[in-house]
Amino acid sequence: MSEFKDPKNFAKTQFNFCWVIALRAEAIPIIEAFKMKILDNQSLFPIYANETTGHALIISGIGSIKSAAAATFLKNYLQIKNYTAWINLGIAGFSRDPIGDIYQAVKVVSKESGAVFFPGLRLSKLLPAETLVTVSKPESKYNEPVLYDMEAAGFCELVPSFSCNELTYVIKIVSDTANSSSTLITKNLVRDLIEKQLSKISAVLGQIEILVQEEKRRLSLPDEVEDFEKNFRFTETSKHQFREIYRKWKIMFPTKRLDPSEFLNSQPKDIILQLEKEILINAENWNAL
Amino acid sequence: MIETIFFEEQISNHPTTERIRKALPRSTWVPIERYQELFNKRHQNFKLQKKNPALILAKKHENFVLPVPSGFGMDSHKNFYFSHMYNCLYDCKYCFLQGLYSSANFVLFVNYEDFFHSISEKIAEYKGKSLTFFSGYDCDSLAFDKLSGFADHALTFFETFPNVELELRTKSIAINSLLQRKPLDNCIVAFSLSPSEIAKSMDSKAPNINRRINAIKQLAETGWKIGLRFDPLIYTSNWKNLYSSLFEEILNGLNPSMLHSISYGPLRFPKKMYKKAASLHPEQKLFAFPMEETKGIVSYGKKIETEMHDFLKSELNKYTSENKIFQCTI
Ligand code: SF4
Repeated sequence: MSEFKDPKNFAKTQFNFCWVIALRAEAIPIIEAFKMKILDNQSLFPIYANETTGHALIISGIGSIKSAAAATFLKNYLQIKNYTAWINLGIAGFSRDPIGDIYQAVKVVSKESGAVFFPGLRLSKLLPAETLVTVSKPESKYNEPVLYDMEAAGFCELVPSFSCNELTYVIKIVSDTANSSSTLITKNLVRDLIEKQLSKISAVLGQIEILVQEEKRRLSLPDEVEDFEKNFRFTETSKHQFREIYRKWKIMFPTKRLDPSEFLNSQPKDIILQLEKEILINAENWNAL
Repeated sequence: MIETIFFEEQISNHPTTERIRKALPRSTWVPIERYQELFNKRHQNFKLQKKNPALILAKKHENFVLPVPSGFGMDSHKNFYFSHMYNCLYDCKYCFLQGLYSSANFVLFVNYEDFFHSISEKIAEYKGKSLTFFSGYDCDSLAFDKLSGFADHALTFFETFPNVELELRTKSIAINSLLQRKPLDNCIVAFSLSPSEIAKSMDSKAPNINRRINAIKQLAETGWKIGLRFDPLIYTSNWKNLYSSLFEEILNGLNPSMLHSISYGPLRFPKKMYKKAASLHPEQKLFAFPMEETKGIVSYGKKIETEMHDFLKSELNKYTSENKIFQCTI
């Protein structure tokens, strides 16, 4: 582990995209495209990341449970924030040719449990939408007009609780159909299929990033608040109250900064009261527009 | 255009579904079992979903018509509401739907006939009483009408019950289905309005106030009864001037006999909804005001509410008789 960066050092890193991918062959084109480096290959799941491009990736292995477990592991390992987009990318069987086509799964059904998920916002200008069925054994009949994979349902069951359903995406590339058996799939073919779709994947990421940035703006705590809080002994409850009052205060006084030296020897409740007082005075002539 | 339509398989051949299928042939149509599979589930993000909402076509099975909470509508009437749709095309910052649902997808209940059946049962139950049925409680009555065709069905139904009132509440200017038919004496087209500056800042995606006023005047000229709804009232510096100018703009030139009623209501939220709306729009000035909380309701507080009430009442009295003005208190 010593040759790898200590995960604690990632607490401040802002990863915008987390990839959960079953197979190494599926992951390599993504790892290379976003210049990720291995962080840890001794843990249960290999993890790759690049702080500069804001991408992290975990190789989960095959199966729904592994996909969910790997996503949880990655989240905890890198302390992923609640505005990050999560993407399950991989190959899938389909009832229709040709192989190589790329789809967004908008409805994911677990064949085993019957559970149904509707991940993501529609990206229809970039990707056609399909229903996907997650199976526990490889599908060879392709009877239904749907995609088949072995991970997405597990991923969708858990991952929306990390950020939200609208930042959870399932993207699949057709690797086998009734006319092109899954026995023909090789590592090189998988890599090739994904590489050929990289420009589309990049365009999709561009769209998703707009949502990530919006959520980041909404959910991130300004440094000013964190710095300020270090100077006082806030309890969990008073911290919550303080942050809510601060939000209002900052809207009312966008150019003012909170200066801890103005509150020397103050208790959290005094600080909250002071901000409330300033807000109340300003409210008399408040322009709400 | 709506890109994705989820439809319950049980209504895939319903005439309303067919109508929408014809109107949106290039959208992606995805079959589902029940709308609750994807509507209002945990971990959905209303604000992000609002960027590209899907349409869900569903069948409603129960609770077609419900009594309105007290304080909504004129007290002299027995008031009911019905929602053939959940959610709205527009995105008003103060909209209570964002606090009510975690989902911004539109749900359209296509079985209008079942709503009308329930309404006729209520009419029979309350025979001889003054009844008003409100549409547009969980949605905007007309905003989606080009696609849903609901207003036309509703008007055809209410035409057969001339003693019962229907109120269509809207910010929409999609009034063609009304203009194309003879006005109904028992239908009130009620427009929600705010001063232009307030609407510009808060009524995202809704038609601007001038266009709403034009729609009002067009409808009134063709004989439709008009309701004016100044709800919610927004407190901001200069609010008195803003509201009096708005009243002047609308009420001067509006044939008084076409004015059914005017109501106004203060901005109020149940505490949980306020918190949720504020967390979705933490940067919104609307949610920076030091609101007061009483019995789980967040409001501007008694002092401001009374000041606004008194002012509005006296201003509105300049234009119309007292019995046409009422305050909505929920
Ligand atoms: S028009 Fe009404 S229902 Fe629609 S967003 Fe605005 S407040 Fe909500």
